[in-house]
Amino acid sequence: MTQAVRTGARAPATDRFTLARLLRAREAGVFIALLVMCLFLSFATDGFLTSLNLLNVGRQVSLLGIMAVGMTFVLIAGEVDLSVGSTYAFSGLATGMLIIAGWALLPAICVGLLTGVVIGLVNGVLSTYGRLPSLIATLGMLSIVRGAALILTNGQPVTVNARNGALPDVLQSFGFMGQGYLFSVIPMQLVFFVLVAGLAWLVLSFSNFGFRVYAVGGSAKAARVSGISVNKVKISAFVLMGVLAAFAGILGLAFLPSSQAGRTGLGLELDVIAATIVGGASLSGGEGTILGTILGVLIIGVMRNGLVLMGVSPFVQELMIGLVIIVAVGIDKWSTRRTG
Amino acid sequence: MTDTQPPAPIVDISGLTKRFPGVLALDRISVAFRPGEVHAVIGENGAGKSTLMNILAGDLQPDGGEIRIDGRLATIASPLASRAAGITVVYQELALCPTLSIAENIMMSDMAARSVVSLVPRDEMRREARAALTRLGMGTLDPDTKVSRLSVAEMQLVEIAGAIRQRARVLVLDEPNSALSKRESDRLFEIVKQLRADGVTVIYVSHHLKEVLDLADRITVMRDGRTIETMDNSGLSEDRLIRAMVGRELDTAAQWSLQPQARSHEAPVVLSVEKLAAPGLDAVSFHARAGEILGIGGLPDSGKDMLGEALFGLCGRQGRVTIDGKELRGGDPQASIRNGMALVPADRRGAGALLTMSVANNVVSASLPRFSMAGFMRRAAVRREARAQVARLDARISHLGQKLGTLSGGNQQKIILGRSLVTNPRVLVLHEPTRGVDVGAKAEIYAILRGIAGEGVAVVMISSEIPELIMNAERVLVLRNGRISGELTGAGINEEAILARAMAS
Ligand SMILES: Nc1ncnc2c1ncn2[C@@H]1O[C@H](COP(=O)(O)OP(=O)(O)OP(=O)(O)O)[C@@H](O)[C@H]1O
Ligand SMILES: [Mg+2]
Repeated sequence: MTQAVRTGARAPATDRFTLARLLRAREAGVFIALLVMCLFLSFATDGFLTSLNLLNVGRQVSLLGIMAVGMTFVLIAGEVDLSVGSTYAFSGLATGMLIIAGWALLPAICVGLLTGVVIGLVNGVLSTYGRLPSLIATLGMLSIVRGAALILTNGQPVTVNARNGALPDVLQSFGFMGQGYLFSVIPMQLVFFVLVAGLAWLVLSFSNFGFRVYAVGGSAKAARVSGISVNKVKISAFVLMGVLAAFAGILGLAFLPSSQAGRTGLGLELDVIAATIVGGASLSGGEGTILGTILGVLIIGVMRNGLVLMGVSPFVQELMIGLVIIVAVGIDKWSTRRTG
Repeated sequence: MTDTQPPAPIVDISGLTKRFPGVLALDRISVAFRPGEVHAVIGENGAGKSTLMNILAGDLQPDGGEIRIDGRLATIASPLASRAAGITVVYQELALCPTLSIAENIMMSDMAARSVVSLVPRDEMRREARAALTRLGMGTLDPDTKVSRLSVAEMQLVEIAGAIRQRARVLVLDEPNSALSKRESDRLFEIVKQLRADGVTVIYVSHHLKEVLDLADRITVMRDGRTIETMDNSGLSEDRLIRAMVGRELDTAAQWSLQPQARSHEAPVVLSVEKLAAPGLDAVSFHARAGEILGIGGLPDSGKDMLGEALFGLCGRQGRVTIDGKELRGGDPQASIRNGMALVPADRRGAGALLTMSVANNVVSASLPRFSMAGFMRRAAVRREARAQVARLDARISHLGQKLGTLSGGNQQKIILGRSLVTNPRVLVLHEPTRGVDVGAKAEIYAILRGIAGEGVAVVMISSEIPELIMNAERVLVLRNGRISGELTGAGINEEAILARAMAS
């Protein structure tokens, strides 16, 4: 047979030009945007391109990043989770209260993570067997979990310190998790983020489970008739999200050892979803990568950092973040529509 | 008559009933499928064929009756259970994941059968996928291509490739080749025969009676949700099958012997295309005159599958497309509609249809201005038009408010065709216009197309079905490798000539 010309299915002529291939990758647009931003800030400010500041940015984005990793799974599976800000607050508070009650660190953290598992499970079951759209189910859970946190703490702030009853050695390890540095330079939060993202990347790109997440989000029908249990995969994604939100909440409390149910993590879900979407995940499911999400998180982090360094007012910062979301996602959609 | 007992059935269905709101899709049907036979199931659009297949697939649950597999009573509670019983299904409405690659789709059920904590065997996936594609003669398709970029024909091949590599005991093919050209279909039939020799039961749903007669060992006819009869395939004719399907004599001879009349040599050129280039198309130029039915043929990889979308402006393009001398902007379907072009796409579930909206709304959805006043829909006019189109195309629906997605495949096709007729187009572009449509309705549709051509519309018929081109077109362009490789007119239009121009290298 002759070498046929395919309708749209033409294979890349050659795989040798790795640069060209990189540019074709889904993440290329976000990566270039990030690069441009970094270049601009290096010239526009003195403080940006220092290792200290860069590590600082890394720490600042870590908690957002850990949650965005979870959100990547949920969005790829074709769902969304609005309850993560509340979970962040609730799990942190639960762990904090146990520490104050004199618990050892590991059990306290495990219970905190377990609350995340339960919330994720409820979200998942409601959105699958319960037949609720996840937008509705998790919107309900956003309020329910926040309410539960308020009831649990009676609306009072929870402060983790020795005076309130925390054991000294627990307090020290807990503080190290949130405020410490690995080899005295790398913030521990960043270490956790890198670990979580690395593991998630392995799971999503190389494991059978990751494959199923993509399949379920790309076409639930195709997945179902192939014998994939769509509900189980979706519930697992929600549970993973719950655990990571809980973990971020616990780290958050470890960094800033005082938390209040009415304030902590308010509106955080929107930042998380924004970072994930900027990173190329699609709200309609089936698309997204951990690498993209990391870039999305970095864009938002670098943006915040740069605006502070340039002395822009916090009000304008908020506005700029909104613009970045729209422009970044817009560029992505436009470029794919042109070629697709 | 027979001195040997027929073998015990592998799948034995009796009294099976399925009810949907407003329709009894299956009414106590009984049919037995034997091991190692090719068993065709035929019937008009909406007869209940796909419903039966979806029950076998575990995708629908029956309301009554029983299914025996190997003599034992079975409930097929889920697709997983169906697969465990050795049944594999190629669905009429494709079940592929558009965001994944060809290889990932072909291997999806393999992945589902493996442990969740295993690794994704990328290389093995690619290798297996390539082997499965090669078996279907599509070895040049890159397994890493995303399915969303494929044509409907290629998607069908991917779906078939995934199914045949599963070594099922029962393979269900629900109109598997409705978008394939003869070459791919023939290859599929070779494989079916091979599978039969290996003892696989193949259940084959089709509207192509000639293929059915060539291929099947036994044929079951369904009508209005019932099984009418099961016949051994010996000494049967197409007419005999049609009579069983429609339950009365159908004067097919008169309808099918119609020949295209050349009447438009002198008519003005309506559509003119100059150096049209798009993905898979390479500088194609042609024109169509008023009152002409222009056929376009070619293999799936010839570029013909992109032509409809490129003309209509659904994808990016270069070159000039004009209607009555007015140039159409690329990438702007709105402008195409405004200037009198209508498209019936091959992919009726994608670009084609509003599946969750009613039949009535679908019929008028491309001509809203005409059916609204001061921003409100003129409901009476909408219903009148919808009723007229449904009657004209003989579509089987339960009521005008029925959601399009719940119609049988062939009936969806008729409604989408109706929608494009309502726009009163100057140029009507049809891509696989009778995909999944039954014999009787096909003849109707051809008559309608001739009728509107007679009113001065230029009809461009892109089709993989060569007989369809021969019967209707007075001029046929054949595409190969994205270019026009030949033009045939009048008596020069025949199967050999078209194939020769489609395949020569
Ligand atoms: N989900 C559904 N809801 C309501 N009605 C349905 C649904 N699915 C199928 N039907 C109806 O059941 C009947 C049988 O449909 P089915 O798809 O089995 O027909 P078919 O024989 O496969 O036709 P075709 O040749 O057009 O594919 C049709 O009247 C159809 O409208
Ligand atoms: Mg059908």
